[in-house]
Amino acid sequence: MALFRYGADLDPANALFRLQSELERAFDSRAGHDLGLLGRGVHPACNMFRSGEDVVLRIEVPGFAPENLAITSQGQTLSVAGKAPAQPEASGSYHRRERRRGDFSRSIQLPREVDPARATAECKHGVLTIRVPAREEVKPRQISITGG
Amino acid sequence: MANGEIARDSAKQRTEDQYTRPGRTYQPSVDILETEQGLRLWADMPGVDQGSIDVELVDDVITISGRVSTAEYENLSPIYTEYNVGNYQARFRLSNKIDGSRISAKLANGVLEVELPKVQAAKPRRIEIS
Repeated sequence: MALFRYGADLDPANALFRLQSELERAFDSRAGHDLGLLGRGVHPACNMFRSGEDVVLRIEVPGFAPENLAITSQGQTLSVAGKAPAQPEASGSYHRRERRRGDFSRSIQLPREVDPARATAECKHGVLTIRVPAREEVKPRQISITGG
Repeated sequence: MANGEIARDSAKQRTEDQYTRPGRTYQPSVDILETEQGLRLWADMPGVDQGSIDVELVDDVITISGRVSTAEYENLSPIYTEYNVGNYQARFRLSNKIDGSRISAKLANGVLEVELPKVQAAKPRRIEIS
């Protein structure tokens, strides 16, 4: 992830620190992309990463089973919707109620160099990971030269 | 909270934790429902798997903690972020009406659910009048 790794950076105990500071650095930086509705507090929270040429989205969706999530794409817009599970019968009183509940829907504008039509997604432990591969035409290509 | 049954431990404790653990720790969002049978607690801990979660009861203090794996972030460089990633921890003081030996917990889709049954004597009992 980091460009340079040496010394204390190799200590696995620092891996979390390093990740956190890297995420912090990227906070609020739009990297030149217009992602649509933005900001901390937008639900569900989404982190966007670059992995080689591809773009990887990681969205926190605790409580949503993969079958209750739907991802659609249209042009460069990716939409994620979640159907909330049925509420447990509440025959008591809440001491604390902090968790988000209810359905959600969110659209994210993707950079032009990736192809949402070929996106793949996986949902594990309440984190939805969507990988959007780069378009073939933006990948570096060797151009052959003919002599005459 | 009127009866002070479930109080989150003081902020001081949390600060001490932060000095002794690598990385920052976040408090998960928690729901606590009290029913006649007991308390049910749900905590959002996205990214934590079954093996990385601890539910611990010492005296009358229940501690739930979850560790996230940074392995999934290898080779990813953030370009835009809305949330930070860290371990989770929350601590609650329970009244002695809870039967510590019958506490059970399960994890599904990043949500921890803990059942805290009340001790028999604390359940309201109807007394028949003959």
